[in-house]
Amino acid sequence: MLGRLQTLPREARDTLFLLAVIAWLILPQLGQLPWWCIGLTAAVLAWRGVLAVRGDPLPGNGWVLALLAATIGATLLSHRTLLGRDAGVTLIVVLLALKTLELRARRDAFVVFFLGFFTMLTNFFFSQSLPTAGAMLVGLLGLLTALVNAHMPVGRPPLLQAARTAGWMALLGAPMMAVLFMLFPRLAPLWGIPGDGMTGRTGLSATMQVGTVAQLALEESVAMRVRFEGPLPAPSEMYFRGPVLSSFDGRVWRPLVPRIGAYAAGLLPPVRLEGLGPAVRYAVMLEPNNRPWLLVLDAATERPSGAGLEAISGGELQWVASRPVTDLVRYSAESHVAYRAAADARPFSVPIQYRELPPSFNPRTLQLASQLIAQVPGGAANKPALVDAALQRLRTGGYVYTLDPGVYGEHTADEFWFDRKQGFCEHIASAFVVLMRGMDIPARVVTGYQGGELNSIDGWWTVRQSDAHAWAEVWLAGLGWVRVDPTAYVAPSRTGSLQRLLPPQGVFAAALGTVSPGLLGSLREGWEAVNNRWNQWVLNYTQSKQLDLLRNLGFKSPNWQDLTFLLIAIVVAVALGGAAWARWERSRQDPWLRLLARVRQRLAREGVVVPPAGGPRQLAQAVTNRFGHEAQALADWLLRLEAQRYARRPPTELPALQRELNRLPWPAAR
Amino acid sequence: MSTVPRPALGVERTLPDAGHATLNPVQLVRQRFRQWWQARLPLSDMLTLTQRNVYILPTGPGLMLVATLLVLLVASINYQLNLGYLLTFLLAGCAVVGMHVSHATLRGLTLTLAAPDPVFAGSHAPLRIVLGNGRKSTRYGIGLAVLDDAHDDRWAWIDVPGQGSATVSVAFQPLRRGLHRVPPLTAETRFPLGTFRVWTVWRPAAQVLVYPTPEAVPPPLPEGEPRAGTAGSARVQSTGEFEGVRGYRRGDPLKLVVWKKAAKSDELVSRDTQQAQRRELWLDFARAGSVDAEARLARLAAWVIQADKLGLDYGLRLPGHELRPDAGEAHRRRCLEALALC
Repeated sequence: MLGRLQTLPREARDTLFLLAVIAWLILPQLGQLPWWCIGLTAAVLAWRGVLAVRGDPLPGNGWVLALLAATIGATLLSHRTLLGRDAGVTLIVVLLALKTLELRARRDAFVVFFLGFFTMLTNFFFSQSLPTAGAMLVGLLGLLTALVNAHMPVGRPPLLQAARTAGWMALLGAPMMAVLFMLFPRLAPLWGIPGDGMTGRTGLSATMQVGTVAQLALEESVAMRVRFEGPLPAPSEMYFRGPVLSSFDGRVWRPLVPRIGAYAAGLLPPVRLEGLGPAVRYAVMLEPNNRPWLLVLDAATERPSGAGLEAISGGELQWVASRPVTDLVRYSAESHVAYRAAADARPFSVPIQYRELPPSFNPRTLQLASQLIAQVPGGAANKPALVDAALQRLRTGGYVYTLDPGVYGEHTADEFWFDRKQGFCEHIASAFVVLMRGMDIPARVVTGYQGGELNSIDGWWTVRQSDAHAWAEVWLAGLGWVRVDPTAYVAPSRTGSLQRLLPPQGVFAAALGTVSPGLLGSLREGWEAVNNRWNQWVLNYTQSKQLDLLRNLGFKSPNWQDLTFLLIAIVVAVALGGAAWARWERSRQDPWLRLLARVRQRLAREGVVVPPAGGPRQLAQAVTNRFGHEAQALADWLLRLEAQRYARRPPTELPALQRELNRLPWPAAR
Repeated sequence: MSTVPRPALGVERTLPDAGHATLNPVQLVRQRFRQWWQARLPLSDMLTLTQRNVYILPTGPGLMLVATLLVLLVASINYQLNLGYLLTFLLAGCAVVGMHVSHATLRGLTLTLAAPDPVFAGSHAPLRIVLGNGRKSTRYGIGLAVLDDAHDDRWAWIDVPGQGSATVSVAFQPLRRGLHRVPPLTAETRFPLGTFRVWTVWRPAAQVLVYPTPEAVPPPLPEGEPRAGTAGSARVQSTGEFEGVRGYRRGDPLKLVVWKKAAKSDELVSRDTQQAQRRELWLDFARAGSVDAEARLARLAAWVIQADKLGLDYGLRLPGHELRPDAGEAHRRRCLEALALC
């Protein structure tokens, strides 16, 4: 195959190379494109490749137009529109493939290149990860190689030569890229983040439907990264608070405030929160999840602060951003793992929603509630004892923690407490809160992440989607909202030692694990650390970081005008440097030749012109012919200039000759 | 006073004027500008390209790249894609480096024109240009062309190896006889990205001598004239083939052998001493037939070539100028030169 490639005519070879580059650019998007688009693109590229190898003529315009019409029709069917991001990406990919069918002249090649750059950008809609960046860098080099190759018209230059040139250009262009990247003012979105910007991103859900299998538990992707300053909280205290779900309709748990705007409107007034003990300070890098919650360690007493971030109190001890987190967000926060929330509230002032249960659901759980009230000394008034009794039942009742509890039916709490007796945090927390409310104890479900994994390489804690957790909070008079993690009573190891049910490993990982158990872990740690660096340095390079940079450079109160100013200053400095370099390059000419050229130029003004090949002797001759005796000194000087260059032992040094020239009596034109 | 050689004839432009184009005022202005621009360039057979004589402008695709970059930038801003910014800026960086590489491809190159050989009017005059590269790396994709209205289709492309030279040939077609200045030449490159056109315009000082086009089907050579001082008026019949030669006979002196003819055919041919003694061949402007002076020159040129092929002694008589009968390459060239310049 490779040998065949060597013998192909240049045009066929170049076309095949370009087709390969195009395929490479499209490859990362396979998951996002409709099936017909993938099929059509692959078919067109293969067709074009066959035509190139055989040297057959390209299909007529009719074909291309027909395919284009079919594409537009299919796009309309798939996306219901031609505008918008997804439809646009589909169209661009097909257009890129179709354009290769009329790849004849150089102009067409340019259209392919520019569409290629767009395709490259569309990849970033879906992923900006390090692997994507690497793949696209290869793609960019491929496109540049093809472009350079197209401008080597002579013979059949090896592609490697063009690739080397392209690589050098990219390497030399990189500093400019870095400067522009650092200093180009970051602007706000011009017409708002389009609504379809975040499809297919995983994360905590705004609602919790008991009984659906939690896919999140098997999801190994990173949810957030945390770096603690100062003392670490105990792993069992690492509860990162997300959505608080307080409204239950029998099947689905929802937050009391369904929309972000309502938080800003202050629908839920913040509760009184006092931190006990020392504060924990930390920085969070939150992966985009298209949800507004800013996850903080329970409970953050201060507003999390970060670049371009406006944190609003969620009213249930959580913090929300003013818009969904669609980008990597970095913020720093301060929490007290020991705290008292709404401890001074009166029982009747706790909103009634925290005690409500949907009627005609979970009758047996309500029965259990009255049973417990009857058993506990002090009855309904002794709330702490009731909570303890419920927890005691969880610990000793033969309940099992499993990720695969089967499908729950209508009365989820009943099924958990009496029938199945197995489930994971979602079921346990939900059933627990139902029981609490059945005993007239204000209670709610809190979701978020619990625990994390320390990356020993860079010191950041990685919190994955598989760390997603649900727990409960009950309000007790005098104590306020108290966290109760009922899962911990079913499976103490789930929270205590941060052990989780491990998701099934892939074949490769399993094989690697048997060879060297530690290797996989350290490989992953290294990769995570690199990834985190990437996130922080590249993806999270925001306006505030730019301004920080300026502050470090000595600007007092930097703004974007300063950025522009600095950018222009650098451009000017580089231009001046370039000019100086050009001058220097010119002066690198032989000083002897320069001296000769000076005299020649001056004589030319007097009308004495000698052909370029003429040396000093010829000049001397011409001068004597023209001016006679008057030019004797000049002629002598010229002969000595000649001797300086060619004599075995030069009588005069060049600098001396140079000085002498300035004092020389110059013959005047008559 | 200037010693810059001026053309012997006032014929500056060797190519047909784009007469039809002059009706268009824009074209007219452009043409005038180009003429003025070219006229101010120094004449030299050797040109070293420096920042002063290498020009650079973005091409159409270059402007398209700028538009692409803007769209990429807007998309990056709107979707807040930091990787998009990186892509855009890296591309921009590459384009700037490409601009520099483009310019450096021509900068520092030396162009030397080899002295052009004389040609006949209407045929292509090849111009051999040696491109010298003092740099260590190869300079790719340099195109050379004669700068005229149609030069866009007639590029000769070449790569110049590092610390070496390459020779490229371009041709121009002089339509009139005379001594012509070599037309302005242009060198161009779009390497590496095609986003910039880098070019130079060069006016070589060399002149090319253009002989008149020989008549395609000339009449037979004129009869020999009696040698001055030789009596007798015996006329030689003109049969189309000049009869001053005959087959070699044993005993002919070697100097009578027409070696030129011998070289072309296998048989030896001798000059007919009798003929040579009695008559001599004069190609005379006054007796070259047609009334049109150029047509006469064309016929004379054809005759000169014919006579030279036959290895005859011939003389050329032009108004105010006469070349004594002689033979050989040098004589032929002298004759054609006289025809070109008269």
